[in-house]
Amino acid sequence: MKRGQFLLGSLSGITVVANLDHVFAQALAYSTVPGLPGGDDRVLVLVNMQGGNDGLNCVVPHGDDAYYRLRPSLAIARNDVLSIDNQVGLNPQMKSFKAMYDKGMVAIVQGVGYPDPDHSHFRSTEIWQTAAPEKYLSTGWLGRYLDDANLPSENLFNGVAISQVLPEVMIARKTDVPAIAQLNGYGLLSDRNKSASTTYTELVTDKSLPFSSPYLSHVAEIEDHAQRGSEELPKLVAGYKTDASYPATPLGRSLALAAQIVGSKLGTRVLYVQHGSFDTHVNQRGTQDRLLSEFSDAMKAFYDDLAAHGNDKRTLTMTFSEFGRRAAQNASGGTDHGEAAPLFLIGGNVKGGMYGTHPDLNRLNDGNPGFTTDFRNVYATVLERWLGRPSTPILDGSFPQIAALA
Amino acid sequence: MDNGTRPAGQLDIATALSPYSGPWDVRMASHLMRRAGFGGTPQQVQQLSHMPMHEAVESLIHFPSTAGLPDPDNVFDPYQQGLIGAGMAGVSRVAQGIGLFGPGVGGARPIGMIDPQARQERAKELRQDARQSIISLQAWWLTRMVASPAPLQEKMTLLWHGHFTSAAIQKQAWPSDMYRQNQLFRQYALGNVRDLTQAVSKDVAMLKYLDGERNVKAHPNENYARELMELFTLGIGNYSEQDIRESARAFSGWTVDRRTGEFVDNQSQHDDGSKTFLGRTGNFTGTDIVNIIFQQPAASKFFAKFLLNNFVYNDPEPELVDAVAANIVRNDFNLAPVVSKLLQSNVFYSERSYRALVKSPVEFVVGTHQLFGLKDLAPNAQRALVQMGQILFYPPNVAGWPGGSTWITSQTLIARENFLAALMNMPMMQQTWLGEVPMNARAATAQMVSAILQSDISPASQARLQDYLNGAGTSALGMLSAENYEERVRGAAYLAMAMPAYQLS
Repeated sequence: MKRGQFLLGSLSGITVVANLDHVFAQALAYSTVPGLPGGDDRVLVLVNMQGGNDGLNCVVPHGDDAYYRLRPSLAIARNDVLSIDNQVGLNPQMKSFKAMYDKGMVAIVQGVGYPDPDHSHFRSTEIWQTAAPEKYLSTGWLGRYLDDANLPSENLFNGVAISQVLPEVMIARKTDVPAIAQLNGYGLLSDRNKSASTTYTELVTDKSLPFSSPYLSHVAEIEDHAQRGSEELPKLVAGYKTDASYPATPLGRSLALAAQIVGSKLGTRVLYVQHGSFDTHVNQRGTQDRLLSEFSDAMKAFYDDLAAHGNDKRTLTMTFSEFGRRAAQNASGGTDHGEAAPLFLIGGNVKGGMYGTHPDLNRLNDGNPGFTTDFRNVYATVLERWLGRPSTPILDGSFPQIAALA
Repeated sequence: MDNGTRPAGQLDIATALSPYSGPWDVRMASHLMRRAGFGGTPQQVQQLSHMPMHEAVESLIHFPSTAGLPDPDNVFDPYQQGLIGAGMAGVSRVAQGIGLFGPGVGGARPIGMIDPQARQERAKELRQDARQSIISLQAWWLTRMVASPAPLQEKMTLLWHGHFTSAAIQKQAWPSDMYRQNQLFRQYALGNVRDLTQAVSKDVAMLKYLDGERNVKAHPNENYARELMELFTLGIGNYSEQDIRESARAFSGWTVDRRTGEFVDNQSQHDDGSKTFLGRTGNFTGTDIVNIIFQQPAASKFFAKFLLNNFVYNDPEPELVDAVAANIVRNDFNLAPVVSKLLQSNVFYSERSYRALVKSPVEFVVGTHQLFGLKDLAPNAQRALVQMGQILFYPPNVAGWPGGSTWITSQTLIARENFLAALMNMPMMQQTWLGEVPMNARAATAQMVSAILQSDISPASQARLQDYLNGAGTSALGMLSAENYEERVRGAAYLAMAMPAYQLS
């Protein structure tokens, strides 16, 4: 075939539009498939508590004297803790979240980490996102899930990252995940004019260029997705209405968009949002308390919103952070990079309550609470019991599941 | 990013760093200007293409005087403005009251302004002033990148900003601190990177950003020591956790004088005991630590990778890294001769290197200004950079901007193209060379694809652009009128810049 024939033959405006209708009809059709085991309408929302959320001042071991000894001025007073039992409770800023816990919507998994923990933000973030503590992988665990799950490849929204930059966890070999920071601003000005838009499509998808570049196909693919996706996404989610009152914070806005995407049934299976920064080396109390309060209020609004549309049971949220922090406070009223910490599973099919073992603060591992649950046990549980996929190929190993999901 | 972004094809290591003697034309000169600067104006590219290649490179390496460029106006400096420090009074109380200047700022003598509400109001104003000042500083720097006769100096300043990262305001790094750090990067642009690392270790913005100012004998803070080795000089795997702890002790006492806001070596907070660091033992200071780091083979390899990743292509072959590292060692970490050799090399001008990098948003925006000879920053430039994911003086974290394919997401590409669309809709574009292209679609298209894409376009796409310009079955972009040839020219320029090639350096 001559150069250009393909271009003018199959990429005329009309064909493109027809294809689009097909794609989104497909997306809509898939989303209505009723719940099979790990059913096709289930969604996982991953919340990255970026920067290293201090576990001990989040899920507070108020029954442990060692905690108060290690943190003379940073510990949260017993009377202030939102007590879960006589051992642990939540940070006082997490009142709305505590109410969700009390309703059985939250599972807390204690002491989650991995062997030979790395104290670097970047490596440890990479380890949690690639699920590979011992080696360097170029795909994320949710990226591998997306590649593996036999989702309709024409659907542009199988996974959506609500962020400016695509997080490693969503990097896949075959699946392109759009990173959408906000709907407002997600659209091409040039699309205001249909014929300019057609020329645009033809130019940006031209494959026969007189040079090669390792990034060329990536850029061209994302340009194509950006144009098609941005044209359709706002229309697809426009019908969604909500009365939920989200806090006016970045996390509140991200979760509002997540609820809109979930509720618009685009076939989206995994969503990513982030919150932070929790890197509290200095004057931790003010920063972490504010972030946890924002988290708590945004999560409440999110599940109120989901519930009002009947989506709470098909939406599981999981938090993670690259590490917890050292058990002892430092000289600056903060804490340095640590290791294991608790994580939360919210909504979906969770069986509310406490799971795992709280690390023993009297037996610190070089100043750190040791891990008692490998994060891959939690991932395996989510993959098998929620997303309905075998976890061994995705995690490159077999990991025992925990009981926090039905 | 290192994975899967190495160009296809084989490296010929025997000739990789030898001087390039192939064709030297506008396309190659443009490649040089994109890498050693931001792309340059069409005239600058023409000029370089008329010089012998080695002279073209040398003209970029030896920075011409930049004395004619303006300094920034009124950089917010709480010390200068008497809001903090030795002579402070009144408003200092305001700042402390809300923790704006951190705990226990020295020398505070609170007078007046007792009304807590007024105090809060004033504190809000101060924070607002600091943020505004950073926005002005960004505009100043972007304008300087566009206009500087020493583009490689500005390019290195930008690369160092993304490497030895610090961020404004969040840890009381004031606009004045960020400006001084920026000047430091400019001063050492292609200088000795060991000297730069020594200076960065005492830089006020860095001491604040990575908590060096809190690193005291009794409680060593490891944040700077860790990132110094992991991200700035050696890379993971070339030191132990023990090396981090020991070197943190060596840096203890390097702090910020709270009365003046300047660096001070506070001996009373320095741990002068013996440390064992990277296999050596002694009563090391921070200076010793940096010197020992630069004696490690990993350091020269680290900076070889840094240069190759930023100037040649990503994920360079280990043998290429080794060859550049040897050159770095030969030049005792003076980068000018190393970069000069690299920019004259076969591998730099190879097809494997050509357009093998993704333009950062700043390169994209500054380069677009240069392409059209715009001297003033376009009114939408700074807002667009936020949406593209690169905010100067606010890198996302201490690792800087990850770059490569991470620059390209649906959201950031839309931001890039909408920046261009808005720019092309501005009547001022009529005053650029776009207003002077021939009234002949064929000639105009040829001129545009040459200037914008160095003709890196297929004949079919070039024909498509020409049709567009002719108004054959098409109309112009957005609010531009299809009836108007001049406006169709600007629409066609937009379409050329929307092509993937324009995203690549």
